[in-house]
Amino acid sequence: MTSTELSSKNDVMLDETPITGELVAVDGRPIVSTDARAASRQKSCLLYLVLPLIFLTVTLLGGLRLNGVDSSLIFLPPSLFCLIAATVLMILFFRAGLIRLDGWFSESFDLVKNAANASVLVTMFAASTQLFNSLLPERGLPLWVIGFCFFWTLWNNLFSNFDTKRLLKSLGALFGLAFVVKYIVLANLTAPAGESWLRSILENPVRETATYVLDLPRFSAGTGYLQFFAVTLFLLGLFLLPPSTRISDPNE
Amino acid sequence: MKEKYIQIIGISVAVVYGVFIVFLYAAEPRSIGDISTKARSTIETAATKGQVIAGTYEVDPVKFADGLKAFNVDNFIAARDLFERADPEKRDAKTQFYIAYSYYRQGWGRVSNDDALFKLGLETLDRVIAIDRDFRSDDAGLTLRTPAELRHEFEEGLKVTADDFNPLRLVRERK
Repeated sequence: MTSTELSSKNDVMLDETPITGELVAVDGRPIVSTDARAASRQKSCLLYLVLPLIFLTVTLLGGLRLNGVDSSLIFLPPSLFCLIAATVLMILFFRAGLIRLDGWFSESFDLVKNAANASVLVTMFAASTQLFNSLLPERGLPLWVIGFCFFWTLWNNLFSNFDTKRLLKSLGALFGLAFVVKYIVLANLTAPAGESWLRSILENPVRETATYVLDLPRFSAGTGYLQFFAVTLFLLGLFLLPPSTRISDPNE
Repeated sequence: MKEKYIQIIGISVAVVYGVFIVFLYAAEPRSIGDISTKARSTIETAATKGQVIAGTYEVDPVKFADGLKAFNVDNFIAARDLFERADPEKRDAKTQFYIAYSYYRQGWGRVSNDDALFKLGLETLDRVIAIDRDFRSDDAGLTLRTPAELRHEFEEGLKVTADDFNPLRLVRERK
């Protein structure tokens, strides 16, 4: 294509003013450079391949625990509370502008794009559910206390004015604190598994009492590492998530 | 690659990975090695359910024949296991009747019967009647050929009556 066939959409040809706008051919079709195409492909790969993989990995790991006795796998399905908290979290994402509904679903998009966008958001919801499953204690008093704290925080956030950055910071702090409470504080209060009751009482009286009183499950230390990976992946997924999937979105 | 292809691949990958996760949480394997065992049993169950839906479900004839051999030599535990594997969906009246009969023969005693086995036999017999109300066995080796006759034996065996103390009971034969 020769340069004579090209014209600028904005028709700005002043000497000192840089030419801006989209290059179009004489028939009106936009001319997209190879770099722009590669960047667009990369963005699509990130959005439709990498992000679902990240969120689904969080979904897989969120309910996974390792048995304290023989390190066998335990898969814990999410409770109803996790689903409710994840729903509130999704609403929060929309309210804070982390996800813009009109940027993800539109009549101007074709069916495949709408379906692909929906699949990304479904994986994100599943990951959110499993993240709460990961961070909430499994049973007993800690479940009620931390569950109430989670719900209180999310409910308050729902009526606050958030921008995306603040929301991400707030969620990072919330999830980080919950992780520390469950996998460092409560895990250190839990008596080791596989020991006889008498030996456990004699060697670790405080931990054995705390385990009994707080009804703490005895998981292997590897569980904490797995869940750390899950929380980090989830936050990475949120960081990589674009607010809109429109290519020419000025706010993107 | 066109954006549309990436989107289609993305949806497919998400669906496959999602199904795998659902399978893991449903099957609850205890180790990585256990995943393949659970996957095999899940596929077998799904295939059997598919056969039921398609109307092509059949009892495994080899396992049934092995079960019958074990039944005829009074190895009732092995027989029941083979019959259950031959008819995993519990849809064949003949196989279920043999399972019920195996409970009768194993639980029968000259002095007293095993009530727990007789109760299990009654439950299995209910299944036979639900599948085929008019079922009649063609096995000449069985004295009790119909669910009604077998049910009567079970119910009589579970009752405590004055007849239970009749010394002549010691000479009665298992049917």
